[in-house]
Amino acid sequence: MARFRNRKTKVFVKPIVKKNQQQQSNVDHITGNKIPKSFVFSRGKLPGPIRQLQMDLRKLMLPYTALNLKEKKRNNLKDFLNVAGPMGVTHFLILSKTESSPFLRVAKTPQGPTLTFKIHEYSLAVDIAQSQLRPRCPQDLLKNPPLIVLSGFAAGNEHLKLTTTMFKNIFPDIDINTVKLSSCQRIVLLNYNKDTQLIDFRHYSIRLQPVGVSRRIRKFVQNHQVPDLRNLQDVSDFVTKAGYVSESEADEEAATVTLISDLSRVNRASTKSAVKLQEIGPRMTLQLTKIEGGLCSGEVMFSEYGNGGNKKKPDSEKGTEKEDDDNDDEIGDSDEDNEREDNEEEDEED
Amino acid sequence: MTMEEGNVAAGKRKRNIGKKKGNKTKNKKLKMLEGKGKKLRVSKKMRNLFEKRARDYNSDDDEEEEERKEKENTEAAATRRGGGGDNSSEGSDDSGGGGGGGGGEEEEGGEIQPGVMKFTEGVRAFRVAFKNIIKRNIANDSLGPVLSGHKQLIAKKLAEEEAERKVKGEAKKEKHLVAEKGHVKPANYLDSHEKFLIGIATKGVVKLFNAVNKAQKAQKGLDPSRSKDAKMIRKRSKEAFFSELGKTSFPVQNSSSKDNTSCDPSNDEGPAWAPLRDNYMLTNPKLKDWDKMADSAIVDDVGRMSEDSGSDDD
Repeated sequence: MARFRNRKTKVFVKPIVKKNQQQQSNVDHITGNKIPKSFVFSRGKLPGPIRQLQMDLRKLMLPYTALNLKEKKRNNLKDFLNVAGPMGVTHFLILSKTESSPFLRVAKTPQGPTLTFKIHEYSLAVDIAQSQLRPRCPQDLLKNPPLIVLSGFAAGNEHLKLTTTMFKNIFPDIDINTVKLSSCQRIVLLNYNKDTQLIDFRHYSIRLQPVGVSRRIRKFVQNHQVPDLRNLQDVSDFVTKAGYVSESEADEEAATVTLISDLSRVNRASTKSAVKLQEIGPRMTLQLTKIEGGLCSGEVMFSEYGNGGNKKKPDSEKGTEKEDDDNDDEIGDSDEDNEREDNEEEDEED
Repeated sequence: MTMEEGNVAAGKRKRNIGKKKGNKTKNKKLKMLEGKGKKLRVSKKMRNLFEKRARDYNSDDDEEEEERKEKENTEAAATRRGGGGDNSSEGSDDSGGGGGGGGGEEEEGGEIQPGVMKFTEGVRAFRVAFKNIIKRNIANDSLGPVLSGHKQLIAKKLAEEEAERKVKGEAKKEKHLVAEKGHVKPANYLDSHEKFLIGIATKGVVKLFNAVNKAQKAQKGLDPSRSKDAKMIRKRSKEAFFSELGKTSFPVQNSSSKDNTSCDPSNDEGPAWAPLRDNYMLTNPKLKDWDKMADSAIVDDVGRMSEDSGSDDD
């Protein structure tokens, strides 16, 4: 019966193809932990801007995600699960849209918890680039995974702790001893606002700029453009003239870092450099609405709408019990202890 | 007579213009190919042609015709002196042809019954009628040239189409609105909230970079050397890292936590940077063969680090 193929389980998935055809490793060389990989896809037909948001999220998750993942209408979650296993994919980011607003679900495979976020507002990467005077996207920006900074979560309850853990584990760990600062070029920020219970999601690119150098010299060295010396008597004027100091440079005092190694021609070792961030990538405002024990199924551990609330999600579940204790069992990762330690240490009230 | 002559002249002019337009290229070509002298010949020829045609169009009387023939002959004679022999022969041909044609038409006009109009008069009448029609239809009708009975039907159809288009447009707009729901275009400037967020992120990055720097600075000089040292360092490093994170987050209530496994310490043996020490790589026998040792040391490190993280679980 070889002629009859079961077409329902066919998933057309294309993983990213690297130039040198190297297989991505599942395990980090340095830390020995498993590198988390992700799929970003959508359920249901999405209108235009949301599809772009999906693409932006994929770029954000690079390099450990499938950039050209193609999905068909008939693919459902099971298909993705089947493919995820052999490829070592650990997280799913699922976008969907209802009449009210788009939703983002973050789930851990194979049977991990699912967090559902309602996207109140979002901006695409192209919007942000248009709003900036000098949008910046260096070439190998997406070659390395981003850093992640979570702030304001300590003030919340356990649900937020689960959120914290989940997000931390989506991005691969970095090892302090061996990480190269030049490879940390992006940062993802998640900021929880206690009053509105909204989470701000931002994505920035990191740039190091030598500080203490006058603006003109810095520009000259960086751009290799011959400066205009028409009005000067002597080259020493160019070098020593007290240039116009922009306001932002004064603010950078707190943001300076002392480098120990040469990062580039202008950022040399043992000199102070300022850290400058510029926003790239999508911007979202999320609200945690639901946590489910299984992968888009299972019991509901937390629901924004309370018991017996009307479920707006396409896959509906059975109960609406609030069980916070189950959180601990579901979390598969082991670095939890350290993180909890951190949170407690830094939990300081004004 | 005068009217006719005027008409003839007008007709001639009209047709001259037309003909000239038509024959511009011919004229130009001939001008380019031949010399200046021959230009005259061409225009003369054309003029004769025009005159002949004008006569045919409007000639009523034989007398006029003869007069013209004579005029033509004299002209031909004049040009004969100026131009070549060809011109004269053509001129005579023209006149002969013109005469014959005119006569023929006249005769035909005469043979047909007298109740019917003469050809030329019929032509004139048609011209007048045509002009009247054209004048009348200047009124611009939005529906275009349509027979009156059909007009209302078409008007109805067009109105329906308009209505349909409107409805479709509105539906599309609504769909578009729903699709764009939540999509916000960011402002050009950085508002205070964004600045605040960037500040938080910057602080986090600075913390991390400083920690990394500290870790890697001391590690540069020390780790490839002794395994015992490395173990001690790693133990101390964790506490140091966490304490550093703790103390620098004091002023702002944010808990920034990062991924990390282990971190590094400040070393108290003289200048922190190993190369600055006097005995760097010279007196320390272990460090002399640093290039050979580095590989094995790194392997050890990897092994030990995974061990460490393993031991931290549970």
